[in-house]
Amino acid sequence: MVLDPDFNFVAVNPAYETATQRSRGELLGRNLFDVFPNDGEGGQLLRASFRRVFDTGKPDTLAYIRYDLARPGGGLEERFWTAVHMPLADEHGTVGHLLQNTVDVTDLVRLREAASLPFRLAETRLLERAREAEEQRRALLDESADFRRLFQQAPGFFAVLCGPDHVFTFTNDAYMRLIGRRQVIGKPIREALPDLAGQGFYELLDGVYQTGQSTGGEAVRLVMRNAPDEPPREIFVDFSYDAIRDRDDGRITGVFVQGMDRTEAVRTQRRQRLLLDELNHRVKNTLATVQSIASQTLRSARDLASGRADFEARILALSNAHNLLSAQEWASAELAEVIAGTFSAFDPARLDIDGPRVTLAPKASISLALVMHELCTNASKYGALSCERGTVRIRWWIEDGGSGPLMIEWTERGGPPTRQPERRGFGSRMIGGVVTGELGGAFDAAYDREGFSCRIKVPEDALVQD
Amino acid sequence: MTQNPIPQGLSVFVIEDEALVALNLESMLDDLGCKVVGPAMRFERAEQMLEEGISADVAIVDVNIGGRKIFELADKIAARDIPIVFATGYGRSGIPAEWQASPVLQKPYTDQDVRNALGAALAQAGQAGA
Repeated sequence: MVLDPDFNFVAVNPAYETATQRSRGELLGRNLFDVFPNDGEGGQLLRASFRRVFDTGKPDTLAYIRYDLARPGGGLEERFWTAVHMPLADEHGTVGHLLQNTVDVTDLVRLREAASLPFRLAETRLLERAREAEEQRRALLDESADFRRLFQQAPGFFAVLCGPDHVFTFTNDAYMRLIGRRQVIGKPIREALPDLAGQGFYELLDGVYQTGQSTGGEAVRLVMRNAPDEPPREIFVDFSYDAIRDRDDGRITGVFVQGMDRTEAVRTQRRQRLLLDELNHRVKNTLATVQSIASQTLRSARDLASGRADFEARILALSNAHNLLSAQEWASAELAEVIAGTFSAFDPARLDIDGPRVTLAPKASISLALVMHELCTNASKYGALSCERGTVRIRWWIEDGGSGPLMIEWTERGGPPTRQPERRGFGSRMIGGVVTGELGGAFDAAYDREGFSCRIKVPEDALVQD
Repeated sequence: MTQNPIPQGLSVFVIEDEALVALNLESMLDDLGCKVVGPAMRFERAEQMLEEGISADVAIVDVNIGGRKIFELADKIAARDIPIVFATGYGRSGIPAEWQASPVLQKPYTDQDVRNALGAALAQAGQAGA
């Protein structure tokens, strides 16, 4: 017999008429559950089986079901059945009807009741097997629904591909996220995911399907493009391809795809490696700077004690400059703060420091901090800060109305008369090297009777525009 | 330890963007009896010196100058048949494949390291010329 989606009879054959003791006229157009009402377990099982067929489009079997029928004369008759329900799809693939092929096995059940009769044993066993099979199938159905749900929501991605062209028959949520929620079910992979062409995955699938040999990879890079007009995405996956074999003959029927999207982890790892490389580079460069300060300080030291004091002071100046940069996440430092840091040990009354807000690039701020430290050290050893009355005046400005180079003017007054040293010490070599060599600027110094003064020009590329 | 002899008066072109490091290298080269050409501490300055035409027996080149990789300049230096020693905080891993044959000075380095690297660079250049 054939039912429509509301379970109304659309067609019946004579065998069905005989088995149910109802004529075609009593059945056609009427609802099965009106004609054969059953509020018990049998009715529930039958409805559930019908719904599965309409919902999934797949056949469903009830190997053993008790479904009592109303006798035409009144009263219920105990009846047992085996039924196979097949979907009938229209040309669009929609399941419009259901075909039931049912066999009345009541007589066999009766035989079971007479199981004490030895010559009926075979039939009884058959029936028991049918009943067991049905119970097992129902348990499996529940279990497989659970499994399906677990697979569907698992954090790893899963897909099932069938046949030599790798047609998608199942994808879980994680797989759908991976491929940008493209509709792939029913399509061969080369058509469903054309953006994978040339990346080796089709060929790996072909290999697994042909040889049955599992394959896979870790943190494998692939480029996906959800749509031709979308930008390509770089993705990293751990994955494996395993052959799916027919349970009976062992023939390969498809490929099981599973894996994890590792893109975030790989990116984090890369970022960390870059940061570590950069950190290592900076540490090595800083060590080279410290090495130079140590070596140059010791070369020009008058004695060990003064050499040690000079070295410590220079390392401290370097450290202070790092502190300023660190506070700004190594992006920049304010010139005013660099200068203030240099003079932190001196009486503010003897200093006259003023200038507009100027932001220095990281490297320039360290270099200028060391320059300022050397000027300050010279002032306190030989210049205006070596006696009680002397002062230092510092002014800075940006040339060309704020768009040109930075000019710093350093003027000492009130100290002893100064004259050009005969030998260039580390300080003046360093200042010259930093300002003219490293920063590409200019350094002009004047040793006058009134005191030392100098002008430092720093090109605009050492500055950060706010 | 083998000590490569360094000819007296060897002229060394130095590209190094840290003034203090350059200063110290100058002192080391001075101690080794070498003559320093430069040092160039900025990319443009090094480029300009090369364009104007420098004469040097060997070059010690910092890999990273003011945030720029030096390898395009290295090509120009090599084109003048000046053997190159790379100095870098990254070590040899920061040197691209085509320059892997060149000696590398890992910062910080000693005057012995400088002597050995210069000797190796000169020995290579000698072999290449022979």
